[in-house]
Amino acid sequence: MEHIVFGIGITALTGALATVAGAAEDTESNIGSQGDPNSQVQLAPQMGFLHRIFNKAVAGEPPAYGLWCCLGAGFAWAFMAMQFNAVLAIVLGSVLAVFVQGVYATTAYVGRTASLSKFGQPVYVDILKSMTTVTMAHAFIAIFATVTICYLINTALGHPFPLPLLGLIWGIALGAAGSATGNPYYGKERQYQNQKFGAGVPISASGNIVRYAEAGERNSLDNGWFTAKIGGSASGICFGLIVFLELWRTILFEQIAAGWGAIVVGVLIILVFTVIDRYIEVWARKNYGPYTEAKEASS
Amino acid sequence: MSAVAAKPAAGGAINWTAMAVGVVMFLILMGICYYFYPTGLMPLLLIVVGGVMIGFGVHFVPVGGAPAAMGQAPGIATGVAMLAAGGGLAGLFGGAWAAAAGQDALVVVITGGIGGGLMMAITCMMVNFVYVFGMGIPAASGKVANDPITGDSQAEFKSQGTEGHGLPFVSFVGGVIGGLFAGAGGTLIYLELLEVYKAALPGVMQITAAQVLPIAISAAGMFAVGMFLVNAVLTAYNITGTIEGPHDPKFKRWPRSVVASAVASALCGLVAILIVAL
Repeated sequence: MEHIVFGIGITALTGALATVAGAAEDTESNIGSQGDPNSQVQLAPQMGFLHRIFNKAVAGEPPAYGLWCCLGAGFAWAFMAMQFNAVLAIVLGSVLAVFVQGVYATTAYVGRTASLSKFGQPVYVDILKSMTTVTMAHAFIAIFATVTICYLINTALGHPFPLPLLGLIWGIALGAAGSATGNPYYGKERQYQNQKFGAGVPISASGNIVRYAEAGERNSLDNGWFTAKIGGSASGICFGLIVFLELWRTILFEQIAAGWGAIVVGVLIILVFTVIDRYIEVWARKNYGPYTEAKEASS
Repeated sequence: MSAVAAKPAAGGAINWTAMAVGVVMFLILMGICYYFYPTGLMPLLLIVVGGVMIGFGVHFVPVGGAPAAMGQAPGIATGVAMLAAGGGLAGLFGGAWAAAAGQDALVVVITGGIGGGLMMAITCMMVNFVYVFGMGIPAASGKVANDPITGDSQAEFKSQGTEGHGLPFVSFVGGVIGGLFAGAGGTLIYLELLEVYKAALPGVMQITAAQVLPIAISAAGMFAVGMFLVNAVLTAYNITGTIEGPHDPKFKRWPRSVVASAVASALCGLVAILIVAL
């Protein structure tokens, strides 16, 4: 019983950490324009719309976070093998991983923007100086929280995988959850704030991203501020739910009926989310209504 | 001939010669394994089954890529391989845990599948949550007039100038099925490699079975992650960009991917097995 209570406590803690990690990851990627909306940041100068948006995408979010979290976990594991305190080891490991992220962000911004020189897009040194450190700060929070989750799963809950492998797996899952949930909000709602609310961006508008703020030109810090409100928090809830429910069903129900208990509970949770999803879909159809009459709709 | 079938099918055509070459390569690789390490043949076969499950399962996952991030196309706004890897590796995590608890192999593989399905169910639900409550956009498919599961009409819910947006119910179900296949396949690969390493490494390294266990788990986990990515990326090339789910015409390309995954898994699995056999 004591073991189960301890496990539930650790599960709750990892769920909370995962929520923080998801929110920080999405905000970091939005400030850096790393997700799929980056295609528009890259496209805009080619369409004649020069901008001051940071642009550090080379890999997608999942492999990038897989690398950084694996590095952070690997360094932390090495420090712990050198008899460092676990908290200090995780902090130092995450700091070293963040330096790699900073190098990656700098070279990516300079390289990608330089490739647009033929369209007249300048490399802004002030953008490089002010944005890179902000993405590094957010990346540190995401990496630190994820490596801590991996450490707790490995040490307190007894998962057999070594720390760096757990860092790779949960880093990729973090990037997948954050990019899936957060990208549409940044891509549609922020970059195309000049388009109608409640509709997708017409393909003909591609590249015409919003480039001006309330005062002066918009930069990526404005985008991070905007998307943190819904995109970031939704990404955090998404990754938090994934980590919490995956651990919760294992800790509580793994020992029931030789493992079938966790399977049955997993199926039930999937069914619950299926019902919620269907409810959301039907709610939208009823409350927002169709864009055109059904008989007029074509293709 | 339907309108869908009348479209140029160059990207979806099946090259039977290439398929036959793939099958021959697969048989040669199995033969090499049998020649050098006969006891590894059955694990290799199951590794191939796991790889094929990953390759087949990825076709179900609704991936919209960059256009989905602007609400220009339905699906989840990230890459095919990356999303499948996120779901499948979450499944592998759960499966490996169940294996360490000493559960039956069938339970371990199903646990891995459920882990992948759970990750995809949460992610797909949150995608629709953001579309509906964050952006005020209802789900609409661009590939079918009516949702094959619910029968909901789709065309009038597509906003002007787009191919659809969000995740219609069939895409949600496809995402969950994809996660189930990918998680189960990845776990099966891990489980088979773990058995091979646990049996062979004590003799190779001259250490006890208890000492070899952490090494075997780490090596099997790393190879399983690697082979997962190999199969997911191969399938991403087969899909070429975006796919809405099982109702998308691109879904019919799965036979090519199955053969390619079988060959790639056989080669990767052979290397993973022979490092302890030679």
